[in-house]
This record gives sequence, C-alpha cells and structure tokens, in this order.
Amino acid sequence: MKIKRILIANRGEIAVRIIKTAHRMNIETVAIRTAVEPDAMFHSLADIVYDDTEDISEIPVFLNIEKLIEIALKTKSDAVHPGYGFLAENAYFAQKCIENNIVFIGPSPDALYKMGNKTIARRIALAAKIPMAIGSDGNIGDEEEAVTVAEKIGYPVIIKAASGGGGRGMRIVRKSEEMEKMFIIASKEAEKAFNDPSVFIEKYIENPKHIEFQILGDTKGNIIHLGERECSIQRKHQKLLEEAPSMALNNNLRKKMGKIAVQIASAVNYYSAGTVEFLLDSEKNFYFMEMNTRIQVEHPVTEVITGIDLIEQQIRIANGEMLKFRQEEIKFKGWAIECRINAEDVQAGFAPDPGKIEKLSLPTESCVRVDTGVQAGSSIIASFDSLIAKLIIKGKDRKDAIRNCKMALDKVWIKGTKTTLPFFRMLVRNPKFLDGSFTTAFIEKDLDKFYLNSEYEEMLAAWLATKLFVEENLSSNSINVDFENGKKLSPWLLNKRINQF
Amino acid sequence: MPIDKLNIKKLYALSSENKRFCFPQPLKHSIRIGKREYEVKLKADDKYGTYVLWKNRKYPVEIIRSRQNKYEILFNDISYTFTVETPFSMRRMKMLSSTRGKVEKEVLRAPMPGKIIDVMVREGSTVLRGEPLLILEAMKMQNEIQSPVNGKVIKVLAKANTNVLKDDILVEIKVE
Repeated sequence: MKIKRILIANRGEIAVRIIKTAHRMNIETVAIRTAVEPDAMFHSLADIVYDDTEDISEIPVFLNIEKLIEIALKTKSDAVHPGYGFLAENAYFAQKCIENNIVFIGPSPDALYKMGNKTIARRIALAAKIPMAIGSDGNIGDEEEAVTVAEKIGYPVIIKAASGGGGRGMRIVRKSEEMEKMFIIASKEAEKAFNDPSVFIEKYIENPKHIEFQILGDTKGNIIHLGERECSIQRKHQKLLEEAPSMALNNNLRKKMGKIAVQIASAVNYYSAGTVEFLLDSEKNFYFMEMNTRIQVEHPVTEVITGIDLIEQQIRIANGEMLKFRQEEIKFKGWAIECRINAEDVQAGFAPDPGKIEKLSLPTESCVRVDTGVQAGSSIIASFDSLIAKLIIKGKDRKDAIRNCKMALDKVWIKGTKTTLPFFRMLVRNPKFLDGSFTTAFIEKDLDKFYLNSEYEEMLAAWLATKLFVEENLSSNSINVDFENGKKLSPWLLNKRINQF
Repeated sequence: MPIDKLNIKKLYALSSENKRFCFPQPLKHSIRIGKREYEVKLKADDKYGTYVLWKNRKYPVEIIRSRQNKYEILFNDISYTFTVETPFSMRRMKMLSSTRGKVEKEVLRAPMPGKIIDVMVREGSTVLRGEPLLILEAMKMQNEIQSPVNGKVIKVLAKANTNVLKDDILVEIKVE
C-alpha cells in the first residue's frame, strides 16, 4: 500500500467511519481539531490530531483548500479523504491535492467538474443516449426564453440551478403565468447559493421514486454497480430513510438501470465510489437525474447487502489497485434500512434543534449497525449538520428488517435535543411505507402527522405536568423523585433548558 | 394567587389542543385505565437521566419550559404543552373566555439561531395561516417560517442578511 497516512478533511460520523476502515487496513489517520468543535469523538480515534483551534475565521477549515493542503503537507499525509459535503465534490481541491503529490481519495478532477455542472452532465448523458427527462439544451438566458422552452416541453416543468444540489435553486412551475416570476427567483437563489445564476429547465416528473445506483470504478477503466438504494423518503430533498434493495425494482429493471448507471460513469471515465441518481415514475420509466461524485451518507445500506466496505474500496482504488470483483460476482443478501437520527424538531417542521447530548444509549443488537460521531456529552452545534447517528438495520427480508427497525428505534435513548425518532416510529407503521407505494411526495402529501405517540403517552405527560404543579404549588416538600444510587439532585435541574415562556 | 390547598379534590391538565386530563388530588402514583390501576413512577439515574417508568417501560422525560401553571413536557421525544388548573381556576377561565372577546397578538420568535435570508412580509401585510413570512437559514437548511394564524402584521423586526439568536422576536401579528 502506497498510502500510509490519510488526512481526513471532514468531521463527525463520516470521519469516524473513515478512521475505522483505515485502521483495519493499517493506515494512519490525521484528524483536525477546530475551535468550534475542540473535542469530538473522531479526534479520540485518529492517530494524529492537528490542532487548528487558533483559526477563528468564519469559514470552516474543511472548506479552506489552501489550509487543508498545508495541513496535509505539514502532517506528512500522503492522501486526503474528503468524506461527504464540504469539498468532497470540488474539482479544484482534487486538482490542488494532485499538484502537491497528495492522493485525493475520490474521482478525477475532470469527472468532478463534469458531473458537478448539471448542464454539462446533461449534455454528456444526452450524448451517451441515457434516458432523461426532456429539457432545455443548456442554460436559459432570460425569462422570455424560459417561457418558450417550457411551452415546448409542456408543463409542469422544473427549473434547476446548473451548479446546484440539495434542492436549492429549484422551482416547480405548473403554469406559464408563473414562469417569469419563478425563473427570476430560481436564478437569484442559485446565484446566492452557488455563485452562479445559470439555470436550466426540465420536464417535471410527478410523484417519482428516487432510486440511486452505487458505482465503483478503478483507474484501469473497470466499472461495476453495487445495486440500488431506495431514497424516496425525503423532505425538501433531504433524505431521511434509505433502504437497499428497493421494492420497486425486479431483477430485470435492476439490470437495465444498473447498466445505464455504469454507462454514465464510463462517459466521464469515472473511478472511485460514486452514485447515479434516477427518478422512477409509476410506469417504471426511469430518468437520469444527476451523479454524486463522492461517498454518500446512505452508503452503509449497500455495504450491508453486498458485504463490501466502500471506504476500503475508495482507498484501494486511490492506491491504484484494480477492482477485485466483476459485475457477475456481486451478490445481494438480505435487506438493509438506514434511519437518520437528526437533532431536529419533528413537531416544528423538522427545524434543527442543536444542543448538548446529555444522555445517549444506542442499540447493541447484532442486527443493528450504528454509525455515529457523538457520545454522551457531545454537542450538536449549529455550524454543522444535525446528524446524531445513523441506524442501519439488517434483516433477511424487508419485513424482517422493518421488525428489527421497530425494535431498534425503541432502544435509542437520547436526551438533550429533540430528534427524528418519533418520525421513524410513525413511518415504520405507515401502510404506504409498508406496502412500498411511497414516492418522494410522501412526507409532503401523504402524511397529516409526522410523529407517533399513543394516547397513554400524552396522558402520562399530563400526569407529569400535574405532578410538577402539585410540587410547586401545593406541597411543602420540594420535588420528590426516587433517585437510584442515592443521588440528591433535582431532575429538572439536570436539564439546562428550563426556559420561561 | 393563593391556593386553598385543603379544598382541592382534583386537578385538570389541559393540552394545547384542549384535551382535558383529570387527576385526583392528592396525586396518586398510579393511573386508572378502564378497571385497572397502573403504577407510574418518575425516576432518574446516571445512565438515563430522568424517566417515567410505566408498564415496565422507560420513557425519557424532560421539562422544557415552565411558568406559573403552564408546562411544556418532552415525553418520549415528543413535546406537549399543558396548563394545570384547579376546579376553581377552571370555572374562572370559562367565565373569562365567555365574557371577553379574543383579541390576541401572536409573537413569532426564532426557533433556532441562524441567518435571515429573506423577509416576505412588511408591516401592514395581511397574512393567512401557513403563509410564508420569512426564510431562516440554520445548519445548512433553509427554513420557511410560516404564519401560525390569520391576521395583520404589526411589527417586522427581522431583517434580511442579519443573524438572529434563538427566541429573538421576528414578527408580530395581530390575530384577526
């Protein structure tokens, strides 16, 4: 192995995830300590921690290309793993790494650039005869052109940012009267978010499923796929639950879509791990949406059903090794579901709820894999994403996985922030989720309540409020709680959040 | 308000959706469901923090806010707001609500720290329930803050491209 030491240009659970595989491969890891997060789990696992707490600039170091290169050189790291988010899909960063003789664990700068620009990606896919929603040939110049193009495609259409991602700069337009206004809004939003106002227009596929294929390619030109992930359970383009395989695909369709996914990757000479995203409509027509040129948050569900460690594959490919398996050797076994436990307030429209994790207890059963970057005492801070832990649940089939999922959700214990747990507890009992007929519109259209509670739970909460009232107003004693271990501490003081209305 | 401790035979917890739960006073550590009484215990330890033990299951609980007789309780990761009333205060409340018309002001506060991206209303705007008022960006997510009521905007304190702290007042709406 040429690669001896990897700088992790990331944080949180993905940093922990990368360190675990690197250690198994006897590769050293370097983590970065920042001022906003001076004491995180991934720091304690890395071999070397680079102290960057002096840096108090507003831009996180994980987005600072010059600084990261400097840290890599200083710490004698021969490779950089960008994780997901931050600079993972930044062609310039990859290029800078290469120029400084640092291995970028990811695809080539060329592939990053081409797939990162949605208009170029569309053109490449079109040339490779990949099925796509019909759309504009390139970026749209002005409102007038937008109206003409949309008229030709037929409403509804979707305006998308050329440099976009994550749902920003996107607008669905259903009538030509709305077009002018929406075009301006989308373009402005794109400029704000991505420093690039260019947008293009596509036919809007109503109520599709979001199906993506995991790709692996080596630097010798071998490309295979590791099957699909079903990611339709999303809210405002933020995925909440993913599973593999998908109920919507049979073997034939899997083969067909997988082949196309490999074709797209080949068109940009892709190597490393990547994901090709498709929309699948109710008639099982599928359309190429975009390619994500990085490891994804939801990669573990593919690892579970294929038995392949994707981080290991990324490192081996970056090291110049050839893929060890051919397409026909990839076998899928069982079912996997990932629930993203985020610090979010489900009752307040999934608003982030940052705070300190006071208590944390996670399932330890063998059918559950937990990927997390926090422990009791850690904080979910507003500067970063709100992910607390990913529960990856295994089962021999979907029914079994869902049964295990219900069990696992009840074994998660988090105190200090509100979480998406009540959402998942509801979801795994929802008939549409159970029969697999859900689409990307599920959360917005099919749900009237986003969480599960039984009438007893509300009654018990009422009892608690009454108890508190009694102890504050009607009794001479202070709050009376049965403490184990003889601790004399008021439970209400354990929480720092006793606010006033 | 002085409470005559001796005369109270029961207490009511009213939920924000006006569900009423009645408990005997003095409060028992058991709750009757149908014909059976089930024991309910409030406990705490180092591993779990505070929890309620009910039918052999532990439920995480926290008091999020409390003021006077109003409590927000987090029970099994879901929050509930109750006002606890005595039979006397219940009667008084009913009388007040029947004699006094409802003229209310809705004060919208920042649910989390973040940056105001856009403000879509101005003072004097008429808004409908669910109408987007402004966009608050926090933790990489743009959150649309919607009007919880029908009414007229009387004050806009949020400004685009400024940072706000949690609980900062953003907009005030006169309920109509």
